[in-house]
Amino acid sequence: MAPERTTETATDAEHELDRPWVTVVWDDPVNLMTYVTFVLQDLFGYDEQKASTLMLQVHHEGKAIVSSGPREKMEHDTSRLHAYGLWASYQRDA
Amino acid sequence: MKPFRRRGDHVVAGLSAQESEILGLLLEQLDQLLDEDAADVPADPVRARLFPAGHASDAEIARDYRDLTESALREGKAGDLALVRATVPADGGDVRLDDDQARAWLRTTNDLRLALGTRLGITAETGPPDPDDGSQQMSVYHWLTAVQGSLVDAFVSGAGRRR
Repeated sequence: MAPERTTETATDAEHELDRPWVTVVWDDPVNLMTYVTFVLQDLFGYDEQKASTLMLQVHHEGKAIVSSGPREKMEHDTSRLHAYGLWASYQRDA
Repeated sequence: MKPFRRRGDHVVAGLSAQESEILGLLLEQLDQLLDEDAADVPADPVRARLFPAGHASDAEIARDYRDLTESALREGKAGDLALVRATVPADGGDVRLDDDQARAWLRTTNDLRLALGTRLGITAETGPPDPDDGSQQMSVYHWLTAVQGSLVDAFVSGAGRRR
């Protein structure tokens, strides 16, 4: 899956400070759908409907943004997801 | 296996002696995977899946992330593994888990499925168990799927929802 943008232009750099970071969960052929929904509820406190919507987005679209905020927080969220074996990464919001 | 069911504050399942033995061997293998040198994680597909890159395209951010988080992740997984090992009945029998133990089981059975699934080349197209497929690893993979699946269902039903 190709990223939507591969290079950062000068204009992007000017806006870098304003753009939040996001944590992305990627589709994975092993993780059970019920497990992914459970993890999103357990880690982020989402209700079942929100967690299930995000899980289905991962499943159908290949990825979903599950949280956003400062870089350090997204780093932390990513490591919490990795502890549960979800395929996650963090990045600056596109 | 008697699948996981919720019983009040606990989830309970039953393992045969053979299932306990297989689970013990799988935990042993996972223990070795977690133990190995951190330096070559990205080169090994199984360990790369257990300790994924923190950033999909920026190698420097991914390296920073690994430096910051990998040892804690490794310790967490090792701690889960020890907890699971302590609750597996040596000669088969009941497995009875409180919330913390159930979370450790969920994470560890997931790691076992990730490790085995990566080795077996599981894809989104991999179907349900095929009785004609004689591969023992594939049978073990599907067995783990049934264990973890019943555990998720049992855990989220009722009291497991408490945080």
